[in-house]
Amino acid sequence: MSLLAIFSITSSLCLSGSAALADPLTAVQSLNPDVSAVLDTYWQTDDVRDSTGSLLEAIDGFAGTHAHEHHQVDGGFNMRHLELSFDGCVDPYFRGTAIAAILEDGAEMEVAQIETLSLPHGLRLKVGKFFSDIGYLNPKHSHEWDFVDQPLVYRLLLGEHGLNEIGAQVSWLVPTPFYMLVGLEALQGKNEHSFSYIGQDPLPARDGPRLCVGWLKLAPGMAGANTLHLGGSFAIGRHQEARDGNEDGDPDHWLDGQTGLYGLDLVYKRDSTLPYGQGDLAIEAEYLYRNKNMRIVGHLLDRSLEGRCKTDRQDGYYIQAVYGFAPRWRCGLRWDQAGLTNSSKIEGSTSKSWDSSWRISGSCDFCPSEFSRLRFQLSKARLRVADTAQDVVEFIVQLQVSIGAHGAHAF
Amino acid sequence: MQNLMTSMMLIAIPLAAQAIGAEKINIVTTTTDLGSIAGYIAGDLARVTSLCPGNQDPHYLQVRPSLMMAARNADLWIRVGMDLEIGWEGPILDGCRNPKIRPGLPGHLDASADVLRLEVPTQRISREFGDVHPQGNPHYWLDPYNGRIVARTIAQRLSILFPVYQQEFHVNLERFCSELDTRMFGDQLVRQFDPNQLWARQIEGTLDSLLASQGKTDAIGGWLAMTRPFRGQKIVTYHRSWVYLANRFGLEVVAELEPKPGIPPSPRHLEMVAGLVKQHGVKLILQEPFYSTKAARWICDRTGARLVVVANSVGGQEEARDYLALIDLVVRQVCAALGGN
Repeated sequence: MSLLAIFSITSSLCLSGSAALADPLTAVQSLNPDVSAVLDTYWQTDDVRDSTGSLLEAIDGFAGTHAHEHHQVDGGFNMRHLELSFDGCVDPYFRGTAIAAILEDGAEMEVAQIETLSLPHGLRLKVGKFFSDIGYLNPKHSHEWDFVDQPLVYRLLLGEHGLNEIGAQVSWLVPTPFYMLVGLEALQGKNEHSFSYIGQDPLPARDGPRLCVGWLKLAPGMAGANTLHLGGSFAIGRHQEARDGNEDGDPDHWLDGQTGLYGLDLVYKRDSTLPYGQGDLAIEAEYLYRNKNMRIVGHLLDRSLEGRCKTDRQDGYYIQAVYGFAPRWRCGLRWDQAGLTNSSKIEGSTSKSWDSSWRISGSCDFCPSEFSRLRFQLSKARLRVADTAQDVVEFIVQLQVSIGAHGAHAF
Repeated sequence: MQNLMTSMMLIAIPLAAQAIGAEKINIVTTTTDLGSIAGYIAGDLARVTSLCPGNQDPHYLQVRPSLMMAARNADLWIRVGMDLEIGWEGPILDGCRNPKIRPGLPGHLDASADVLRLEVPTQRISREFGDVHPQGNPHYWLDPYNGRIVARTIAQRLSILFPVYQQEFHVNLERFCSELDTRMFGDQLVRQFDPNQLWARQIEGTLDSLLASQGKTDAIGGWLAMTRPFRGQKIVTYHRSWVYLANRFGLEVVAELEPKPGIPPSPRHLEMVAGLVKQHGVKLILQEPFYSTKAARWICDRTGARLVVVANSVGGQEEARDYLALIDLVVRQVCAALGGN
């Protein structure tokens, strides 16, 4: 056998790329970006008069400023969204990802990111709009979650979309013998729950980026198919609030300051050798702590409060386990608690603290194939709203499908 | 002066080669079969790491940081291709941040580039057909002819990346091929004919007539001789992962236990398969160790067919230590079951 062919270096390299494609049509189509659509629909019922969603918006200590109306969960059939995704390499240097979340009444730009492909020394740069890599769950899209909904702590501190911002990220795979990835992000800071920007009188205008995020992800070497993953992250950024104290529909006091958000996460996964996901196990736990330090820059109801500092402290955690108990079947259990620390203090004035809210959720899902999933989820929650405990039982049946060239999911 | 320069260069070149040699070539393969073949070709010059263990379904490997770590310093990444690793190759290549092994670069090799492919769809496919691969059935390594092609593809690429060792790769390739050819056709045939001609004739289906015309039918040995008595026999497999083996040795797969690729067996489908097994007198149900044997046993109990659970990748069973041992194991197990009565 002759090795002569190796001397035609270029031709052999080109060949191995194109020869992998059966026909010219496939080759042409392979230049198209990968296009996929995720359809996510569910049926929900609960035992409370108000919807569970509106209770979550009003939990003591976490109640947001209601800057915009959310898509509320309606008892009965719901469409979470239609996620349209385009993904592909721009050239040998960049990769582009565009994901639009289409709702019944409009569309949202979920991801529009450009990533570098070939920076040396384990470096990568990402710019555009993307999910911050803070925490373990934040960068995951809703169809990658193991439960229908987010843990309480995510929902309450970062909102339904998590920390999804415009900005830039630099990350570095450190050349250590174990896996260590560090990253820094400079983001505009528009998260209405923790890093909100209003910029209208009497609040000061501040140019972006107003939010700085840093994180560290570690995976010590483990034998075989076991993986342990540890993460730590922080987000420090500007925060402004316009609040409506007398509930007349117009804001009457304004706050300006800084929020610090700190998180720890711990994940254990076991990839079983059995097919169709049987025997796979994933255990996840995350803790998040938020500290808002703000100054009251204007107060129409009580001028004496103007100039005073307001400090809010909230936290929460969740712990969950998901196990593939049969081919294509998984069951999961999640315990959720938010507000173990839950206080609000105005310097030289009032100081309030609230009890925590908790929820326990059990789920069972069946994946007919890699591209479809039917999930049943039952939750019981005790939510603290206006200093009273509200018990909620919620049941959800969800169907998620993905059509098109849906890519693989990261760890 | 000229002489001095020349003699210095003569010393410098081997020294440089040694300096490179001090650090082994780092080859990462997606599967153990590619790892074994790459090991034959690179010999002691390389350290070969395979990501998916041989006892695991290569369609469903979970991406994890340790796999990225394995690929981080790789000089060469070799994949099976044909979308077999579509669920996990991308995130590992992205996550390991190794700019040398991006697709399209010399450090990224698709081993399927030149293999003989089967079941390449000729019409528009849909996921309604199950997990069908647009570029054809990716389980091509179970055809020893493809093992030979993959070895050549790897040797070519290694010679491009490390021209210093071109000679070593060439020698190792020759050794691997001659070992494989001997195991396939037997000692005598390989000595009397050019192995390339033997393969060409075998693929054409004209090897028998060639040997008969020269009165050398008795000289056939190896896997070919072992499987000859069973040519034309019909078999059933769990997944569509044995078609290349069946094609090479003249067996016919009449049904799979999976109703569609990637969909586990259903009672109604098994009823149908049991009917086919009886109708065609199928004696053998073949499947990998990682699948449940419940469905196969159900059919065996009703039809008298035999179940053979055998590795389809290196490391899937203890005896399947390397690529040649794997093919040997599979051929022996299949022949033992088919010749059982």
